[in-house]
Amino acid sequence: MAHAHSVKRHKGLMDWLTTVDHKKIAILYLLAGGLFFAIGGIEAILIRLQLIKPMNDFVSAQTFNELITMHGTTMIFLGVMPVIFALMNAVIPLQIGARDVAFPFLNSLGFWTFLFGGLLLNLSWIMGGAPDAGWTSYTPLSTNTYSTSHGVDFYTVGLQIAGLGTLIGGINFLATIITMRAPGMSFMRMPMFTWTSFITSAMILFAFPAITVGLVLLSFDRILGANFFEVANGGNPVLWQHIFWIFGHPEVYILILPAFGVISEVIPTFSRKRLFGYSSMVFATILIAFLGFMVWAHHMFTTGLGPVANALFSIATMLIAVPTGIKIFNWLFTMWGGQIRFTSPNLFAIGFIPTFVMGGVTGVMLASAPADFQFHDTYFVVAHFHYVIVGGLVSGLLAGLHYWWPKMFGRMLNETLGKISFWFFIIGFHLTFFVQHFLGLMGMQRRVFTYLPNQNFDTLNLVSTIGAILMGIGILVFLINAFATWAKPKGVANDPWEDGRTLEWTIASPPAEYNFKQIPLVRGIDAFWKEKMAGNKEMTPAEPLGPIHMPSPTILPFVMSVGIFIAGLGFMFSKEQFSNSFMSMIFNNWIVVIIGLVITFGSMLLRSLYDDHGWHIEVEELEEEGVKA
Amino acid sequence: MSATHTEGALPHEPEKATLEGRNKVLGFWLFLGGEAVLFGTLFATFLALRNQTNEGPTASELFQLPMTAITTLILLVSSLTSVFAVQAMHRHKVGALRGWLAITVLLGLAFLCLEIYEFAEYVHAEKFGMTTSAFSSAFYTLVGFHGAHVAFGVVWISILIGQLFKKGLTVVTAPKIYVSAIYWHFIDVVWVFIFTVVYLLGKVG
Amino acid sequence: MTTEHQANRGIVKHSERHEGPQKHIIVFIFSIILTAIAFAAVMAGGVNAAFTVLLLLVMAILQVLVQMGYWMHLKDRGHLIPIIFMIGGFFVAGTAIVTALYWVWW
Repeated sequence: MAHAHSVKRHKGLMDWLTTVDHKKIAILYLLAGGLFFAIGGIEAILIRLQLIKPMNDFVSAQTFNELITMHGTTMIFLGVMPVIFALMNAVIPLQIGARDVAFPFLNSLGFWTFLFGGLLLNLSWIMGGAPDAGWTSYTPLSTNTYSTSHGVDFYTVGLQIAGLGTLIGGINFLATIITMRAPGMSFMRMPMFTWTSFITSAMILFAFPAITVGLVLLSFDRILGANFFEVANGGNPVLWQHIFWIFGHPEVYILILPAFGVISEVIPTFSRKRLFGYSSMVFATILIAFLGFMVWAHHMFTTGLGPVANALFSIATMLIAVPTGIKIFNWLFTMWGGQIRFTSPNLFAIGFIPTFVMGGVTGVMLASAPADFQFHDTYFVVAHFHYVIVGGLVSGLLAGLHYWWPKMFGRMLNETLGKISFWFFIIGFHLTFFVQHFLGLMGMQRRVFTYLPNQNFDTLNLVSTIGAILMGIGILVFLINAFATWAKPKGVANDPWEDGRTLEWTIASPPAEYNFKQIPLVRGIDAFWKEKMAGNKEMTPAEPLGPIHMPSPTILPFVMSVGIFIAGLGFMFSKEQFSNSFMSMIFNNWIVVIIGLVITFGSMLLRSLYDDHGWHIEVEELEEEGVKA
Repeated sequence: MSATHTEGALPHEPEKATLEGRNKVLGFWLFLGGEAVLFGTLFATFLALRNQTNEGPTASELFQLPMTAITTLILLVSSLTSVFAVQAMHRHKVGALRGWLAITVLLGLAFLCLEIYEFAEYVHAEKFGMTTSAFSSAFYTLVGFHGAHVAFGVVWISILIGQLFKKGLTVVTAPKIYVSAIYWHFIDVVWVFIFTVVYLLGKVG
Repeated sequence: MTTEHQANRGIVKHSERHEGPQKHIIVFIFSIILTAIAFAAVMAGGVNAAFTVLLLLVMAILQVLVQMGYWMHLKDRGHLIPIIFMIGGFFVAGTAIVTALYWVWW
């Protein structure tokens, strides 16, 4: 074993910029996700304030369009995705008994690319106007003819870059789960959160390239004068809708599956029972993923696909209710007869179930093509997808954050504040969105910046806005809770909930840099619980104590992402007329793009030329830490 | 684990000797799964817009099949030479490995030159540019994406040849070479679909 | 590196250790023949168009399968995961293509 490759250990900011440790990257994802979530949340509040009364002029129609576009785009791509990745990074290597992810370098690259993509998209607010064609950016509204500002360019280029980061993250987690599992942890012994993350990563792998192409086509249309969606020159706008939804529908399952995973971890832990129907859960997850790729055209019933296509996609969509129902019943049966503890993570998990069922039921209603002609583009749709994404996914994420917070940070969140935040959140949520079903059925159109009085919309909209503010208070209480924990000393127990079932609860909170001093031997589903039942305090190690090989920290992922960011900006403004001759020289001659690409590919070259030998943590060091603990 | 292996001590398949190596190969396969969707969507776009010529040149007016046959042959041969490179690697014959990789790179360059010549011909002689029609946009984007992949492969494999000179064949360089060979075959596979769907079906109409 | 991984790698049969170039040359010749048939069918013309399209697709798919099996080693042991993910990729690509052919213009 090669000894002591000396490695430079960074401190402070440099440590965070250069880290390849999945636990630190998890925190970075959480911070970035929190930032974008806050931006998206403020946009949501502004939208609801505009709609609080009829004929309101709180924001202009143009600003409203920008707000709804950026709210949707930010929340989906930049708000919840990174929080999902934060949980995946924090938990999956621990749950499968691994010291690291398969590609620590790519893990870091995925984060920084995502962050710079998100920053680019949000720069639009201060650089001439945000995208305003809706989060779906339907053509021809988003083509040059109808959208003359750079807003949609920020959308195409920003999402392209952020999407690249997500794709990299997905590949990393697939490889990690396939190859890095501890001895004895077969696929059918993996914790459900790992399973759902695995399936989600596979869906990311197959769905994101489609939107990559879609965004390339749209940006080529807008910047290079191509004709993919220009009807006058032979293009076809329906093509964009297909490509967008071939990505977009799997995307919503990409979002919800990890939440299913969280619920499947939290409920057994706080019911002190093993998950009911583990294998049916696994197959239901796979089935949902498969069907998720088969139903995209249900977003397009009203484009005129014809009765055959509409019927096919209608039936396929209704089929998804079957595996989802299996999951719901499995959670209920897990709680049945269990010793349920109503801790804050469990409150969010239990609140998830009825809320998500409601979102699912309206989903089946929307799946019926003839009915969809009535629901289409009304607040009924808005209510439906907020029930699944906010009531479902965000509840799931909050459950997961409360549940794994002690593992990530070594400090418990305050239970009282957690419960206050839950009640504000769930009551506020239902007030906001339940009434929107009726607004939609009464004919209120989505994406319109105001409405006329005396259509029975007034009271319901007021209720909805009040709900949104309550929900905002719930999130604020959670944030206060999170910051307040910093006052407490670190050092909660390994298994702070005392009923932990999986491997992450066998090690310190937060775990040491190398996670497991000795890789554990897994003897069944819920590996830690199995040892507890056998009367063991800890896992049986699968290997003797030895030096641990660690990857070196590196700044290259950060530099590469900066390069992509510069190239993206250069591409966006390559056809811009600048008054400054220097600016036109460097932008119009693609010099900025070239500089950006040189930075990115140059870093890639450096990474290839100079091998990372990593470094070792020696046995003496490990034993010392053992004594201290 | 580390790069202290000498060439003599290399296992038969050095690309699979370390966990890092195996991860790299697996991760690259996953990436190719995504690439399949990427090219699939580009093909879908092309197929949807193939007849939208906007009074510009049509596929059957434009394409010269002898030219396509030559580029196809070049890419096919280069795929074979990259198989030979991997076989040389498994026999630990570094000289032969470098030679086969160099031939692969040269064939890739020849392909690129012909493609650029073809594009230039279309743009100048046939007045068939990116902005001519929806068909032209789809054609240049699909075939151009493939061409960009070839160009990336050419640079990548050239750099690996350089690394073979400097570092030799080790458990670190072997997975890179194996993965680049997989990549090169994938490019060839995509080209099989391109010459079939774009050029030959374009002639059939 | 765990015991499981070591067990998975197994022992390579001696005959597989140094496979010759023969079968790759056979694949190459096979690919050339398939390509030639496709080009000839189009260049000759006069054949039924629908039949030609079918023939071209069969030739292309055959060639791709053989090349992926032999040159990309997908037929070798230990390639289950790559095969699953390639099938997944081609499947999604296929849905996009079918869509483009049937549900974009009407």
